[in-house]
Parts: sequence; C-alpha cells; structure tokens
Amino acid sequence: MRELTYLEAVREAMSQEMRQNEDVFILGEDIGVYGGAFGVTRGMIEEFGPERIRNTPISEAAISGTAVGAALTGMRPILELQFSDFITIAMDNMVNQAAKIRYMYGGKGKVPMVLRTPAGSGTGAAAQHSQSLEAWMTHIPGLKVVQPSTAYDAKGLLKAAIDDDNPVIFYEHKLCYKTKSDVPEESYSIPLGKADVKREGKDATIVATAIMVHRSLEAAAELEKEGISVEVIDPRTLVPLDTETIIESVKKTSRLVVVHEAVKRGGFGGEIASVIAESEAFDYLDAPIKRLGGKAVPIPYNPELEKAAIPGVDDIINAVKETVNRL
Amino acid sequence: MAKEIFMPKLSSTMQVGTLLQWFKDEGDSVEVGDPLFEIMTDKINIEVEAYEEGILLKKYYEEDDEVPINHVVGYIGKADEKVPDSPPGEAGGKEIPTETESDSETEVEDEDKEDVFDTTPAERSLESSQASADPAAKTEKPRATPAARRVAKEEAVSLAEIQGSGPNGRIHQGDVMAFAESHAAPKATPLAAKVAEAEGVDLKGIEGSGSQGKIYRSDVEGAKKPVTQSSPPAAASGKRVKMEGIRKVVAERMLKSKTSAPHVTLTSEIDMTEVVSMRKQLLGSIEKQTGLRLSYTEILVKAVAQSLKRHKNINVSLEGNEIVYQDSVNIGLAVAVENGLLVPVVKNADQKGLAAITEECKALGKAARESKLKPDAMSGGTFTISNLGMYAIDAFTPVINQPESAILGVGRINEKPVGVNGAIVLRPMMVLSLSFDHRVIDGAPAAAFLTELKNILEQPYELLT
Repeated sequence: MRELTYLEAVREAMSQEMRQNEDVFILGEDIGVYGGAFGVTRGMIEEFGPERIRNTPISEAAISGTAVGAALTGMRPILELQFSDFITIAMDNMVNQAAKIRYMYGGKGKVPMVLRTPAGSGTGAAAQHSQSLEAWMTHIPGLKVVQPSTAYDAKGLLKAAIDDDNPVIFYEHKLCYKTKSDVPEESYSIPLGKADVKREGKDATIVATAIMVHRSLEAAAELEKEGISVEVIDPRTLVPLDTETIIESVKKTSRLVVVHEAVKRGGFGGEIASVIAESEAFDYLDAPIKRLGGKAVPIPYNPELEKAAIPGVDDIINAVKETVNRL
Repeated sequence: MAKEIFMPKLSSTMQVGTLLQWFKDEGDSVEVGDPLFEIMTDKINIEVEAYEEGILLKKYYEEDDEVPINHVVGYIGKADEKVPDSPPGEAGGKEIPTETESDSETEVEDEDKEDVFDTTPAERSLESSQASADPAAKTEKPRATPAARRVAKEEAVSLAEIQGSGPNGRIHQGDVMAFAESHAAPKATPLAAKVAEAEGVDLKGIEGSGSQGKIYRSDVEGAKKPVTQSSPPAAASGKRVKMEGIRKVVAERMLKSKTSAPHVTLTSEIDMTEVVSMRKQLLGSIEKQTGLRLSYTEILVKAVAQSLKRHKNINVSLEGNEIVYQDSVNIGLAVAVENGLLVPVVKNADQKGLAAITEECKALGKAARESKLKPDAMSGGTFTISNLGMYAIDAFTPVINQPESAILGVGRINEKPVGVNGAIVLRPMMVLSLSFDHRVIDGAPAAAFLTELKNILEQPYELLT
C-alpha cells in the first residue's frame, strides 16, 4: 500500500467525494489558488473550479453561516477555517444554528456540513493560533467532534463526516499534517464513534488524542524497554465517544492515563476520566486516574516555552510509571 | 471509653500467662468481679476477674495463647464503642486511638496556623494521615484502590491486615492477591480436611497430589504415616490429649530441673515408732484445737523445718552465679491434682506449732485440689516435701522443685523386722529420699541434714528444742 501524508489524505478524501457527489463543495479563506493556510486544498481549484472551491472573505461568521444555509438547501458543504482558534467567530452559527436546526424542526431540515480546521501548537504561531478548543464543541449536543491522529484515520473519518447528516467539527492537527501512514487509494469510511487501539498492552491504558497519540506511542515504546506494557487508545471521535473500548481496556489494565494537548482544566480528559469512574471499570482501577493536558496558560511564542506548555513524551512516561507504582 | 483488660503480673518471675479458658464471649455483659478468663502462670492457674462493668467488646487471644504480662487481652466498654482489631500490645495507659473530626481539627489548629490556608482540606488530611504513627493509622479506613477493594471482597480478606505498597500505604490489587495467596487455606477435599482434623494433621504441611496441589485423603494419610510408624503400633490407636495447662507447666519445669541440676538422691530408713506414738498423743488435742486430724505429713513438715534451721546450707537456692541462703524456712508440699501437680507453701514452718501447721496444710491441700490457690500461696518455697506414703512406695528419686536445691521424698510406713539391742523386732519403718542439686550442695552436708532429720524423727522431743 502506498504511503500518504495526513495532509494528502485529507485532500484525497475531499477530492474523491467531490468527484462522486456534486453536492459537496469547499469554502474558506484562500483555499483556491493559494491552497489554504496549510496547503490542504492545493490543486483542487484546478480540478473542481472556483464554483466548488470557493474563496471567501475573511469572516468566519459569514463562512459558517453560508455553510449552514447551503446545507439546509441540500448541499454538503465542507468549510475550512485557517486556524481552529477562529472557531470562536463561527460559533454562533455552529452552536445556535447548525447544532439545533435538525432537532428544532423535528428532522424536517438537516445540516449535513463539515467544519474542517487545523488545531494545536508546535508551529510557533503563538497564543491566538495554537489552541485546542475541541472540548467546547463536545459540550454542544447536535455537533459531532472528530479528531484524527493518522493519515489513514483522517481519510476514512472525513468520508464518514461528509456522509453524516449532522454538522461535524473535524479537527486536524497541524503537526500531524506531515505524518505519514499507509492509506488505501480507494474511498473508505471509518465509522464515527469507533475508537482505535493503536497499541495493545496490559499494565496501563493511555487514552490520547491527535498529536498525543504519537507521543503516547513513543512513550509506550520506551516503557516497554522497562517491562511496562502500555495500551494506547485513540478515541478518534470525541462525539460520539467509544466508551466501551476504553472501559474494556481499563478493566484489563486497571490503570488509566488520559493525555491531550488541550488545557487540562476543563479539557476532554475530565470527561473520559469521569466515564471510567462511573463505569464498571471503576472496580478494576488499581491506581488513581491520571490526566495530562496543557498548562493553564496561553501558548507562548518562545519555542521552548511552547513545548513546555503541553505534555511531552517524558511527561507521559512518568505519568504511566506513577500509576504502575514504578516511579 | 472502653477499658483494657490486662494480663496480670502475678509473681516477680512471671513473664507470660497462658490463657486457659474464657468464661465470657464477645458481646456478653460483665459485672465487676465476674470471672473473665482463667490463666496459668509458671506457678499457678487462676481466674482473672473484671474490674469494670460493661460489655466484653473484644477478645484478642484464644485459649492456649501465651500473652505477655501487661498486654491487653481484651476490652470492656459500651456496646457501640470501637476498639482496635488487632491486639494493641503492651498497655502503658495508652488511650484507644479514636478518630473524631473535632480531634483532627484541633490538631490542625494546634499546628502552625499560618499554614492552614496554604493547603486544601484534602491535602491536610493527607498530611495528618502521613504524620500519624502506625498504631493510629491502623484504626483508620484502609487506603486502597477500587480494584484492591474488589479483590479483597472476592477473596474475603480484610484490608486492615494488608500492608499497602503504594504511596501513603495505599493497598493495590497486587497487595491483596499476595496477601490472599500467603494466607490461603490449602486446597483440600472435604473428606481430606475432615480426616486431617480428626487425626490432628496440619493441612499446610501436606503436599497435595491433586490438580493445583489439591489434597486428597490419601495425601493426609500418607503425611501421617512417618509419625505413626516410628511409634509403637498400639500408640496409633490410643487417645491423644493435647499437652496443656498445668500439665504443660509441670512438663517444662521437670525437664528444666532434670537437665539443669545434677540430681543426687540419698535414702535413709527411719524408725517411726516415736513419731507414731507422738501422733497418737497429739491427735486428740490438735483435733480439739483445730477440728482437724494431725497427719504424718505435718509432723514431717515440722521436722524438716527444724532440720533446715540447723542446716542452712540445704535451705538454699541458686540464682545466676550466686547461692542464696534463705532466711526463712518455707516448706512446699507437692499436692497431686487432676492432670498435674501443685506445690503450695507453708511459710516459716520452723516458727509454727503442729496445730498451726496442720491447719495450714489442710487448707492449702484443699485449695490446691479445688484449683483455688492464690499465687502467693505457691511462691517463696525453700524446700519441698513429696509424700507418696499413702501408696505402696518405699523409696523414690524426687525431682527438685527449682529454684529450690533439695526435695524430700517420703515413702510409706511399713512394719519391718529390725535389729534392736541384739533382738529382731518389728518396727514401723519409713524411707526418706533426699534429692539435692549437686551444683550447690555436696554429699556430706546433704547426708548430715538427712541424718539430723532421722534423729529428730526418731526422737521427736527434739522438735521442742
């Protein structure tokens, strides 16, 4: 199988869908000739033309409002926000319109749209362009929230998101864009709400999202050298969340470490920890649940401080050792 | 506040007491003066009475357990009071560690007040639990993970007994499993367990032949064999009684005496004609005084006491490196009781008349047979008399009652032909056997003492001197 980068996988998913489905189009800032802030749509305007690869004014409110309206008329818009930080401006449309309409009209209208946006730090883009705000969106009933960590997952999940009749927030991680994995050429779909066990283990479970999946796998490889066997689970979609896979894993390992880049306070890790505490896995817990998340500070511009603001491989290793009493 | 029940210290040499039996169960109500349990010391057994009234809340020891003196045996208190699950050990007037909220709060306030706001309540409780020493921590709820609690429940083990390996002594699943494994009863078929119990075989020492070491009846019987094979076949079917109580103490003391003191036994035959006639003359008057019949034992006590007064080198004991010459003459009397032997002591026998000695001997003998001897009545002996004269025994080799250094064995009085002034006549004769500890007493002084005693008995007016 050929390898693709995460970025190429996202592009391929959209292109394949657009070739098959006339209703699918993309709108966003500078996504045409420029190819978008990270080059995801590069070359697409040449294939699909400016009608379907639509450049917009610099207004996330306008972009999202347009997408909601188009979706209501039967289109399947994909909107791209240059940085996920700007979702704040799109939020009224997403939270008060996109998330509500299908419910409020008893299913007579629906909003089949995907909001794609790159999130996370690590690019030196400073505090206003480096955040991970996914927990906000997970709080809104009516929105689905997807956070792929690999090229393979990105392609399959994006296909599923486009096919979904509900608004989906599709978080891409900037540092994942250049990561590669085997990606099938044909179109395929990964169901939303299905976690992936990225690595099997028996001593502790790490539930990690986005770039933290990669760091957790690195940590797990290190820990294996010390005889600690770690299971790494990537939920892939936060809403809906595959609680069953996580619960079963914790029942097996008796220990849970949750890792995400988003600020720990109010982060989605709290939700996962709570799910376990409420579940039958509670009786199997043999150590307190450990959460790792970003520090409660705006992401610093200084590259060293930027790294220090979020969990690193060493932090994950130490957290696991602590839960297995091996520190 | 529940009150402790201690193992009493009943004599200067007592280190431990053996709990013979409980008269009360946990939950029974107890009045002051109620007998709680019976103990046995190196000298006696005695009932321990309650000094408090209330409910017997806890018994820490089983029958046959040895409990060091002043250790807490149990608690008496109100029905809902909490007491430690494990014996708190030696009681130095320590209060039962109880944890109440007001206690812990005052504790915090007593500490550096400025610090109070720097720590969250959770952190504070963490610190205080870390600071508290082990005994107090034991009464707290055990710190354990949910998994540890689940496994403890499944294995039916108490978390309080488990040492946690995690931070702050937190008990993990692995700790519980290790504990359960080390304390697990051996797997055995019900029949094997029954056979083992009946035969008094410990299942723990048996290697099972079944799957996962399960013990079958054949394993139990196999394990039993080596023991029975070495003893005579008849013994195998004999009744087995556990060595306990007085029997155990007698066994230990006899063995110690025989192995530590080189025994030498001298015998001498006494013409008891004069003693027999003296007893006849005194019977009536002593019975009038005391209502009791004078027996040869009492005359022997008096005669021995008189002899010991004159032979102070016999009235001795060995304490460490020193020979102690006892000031007083206290004569112990070996009394056979059910399952053993007790030695009540007639104090200062050399200073007492026959009537007084008779009264005392009879009282002591009765108390001994009824197991009502006070520890005081069994201590302080300097010499012992063991009388087997009521049996057809002529002479024997008594074992010294340590820390004394000599013991007199008394045989029966038997008419025998003896030569008197060139004629053979029948005389009531009695053999005395004196065993002495050759470490402290040599043959000549022992012989001199026995000769003195013989002279006194053959001319009992000596008793008046």
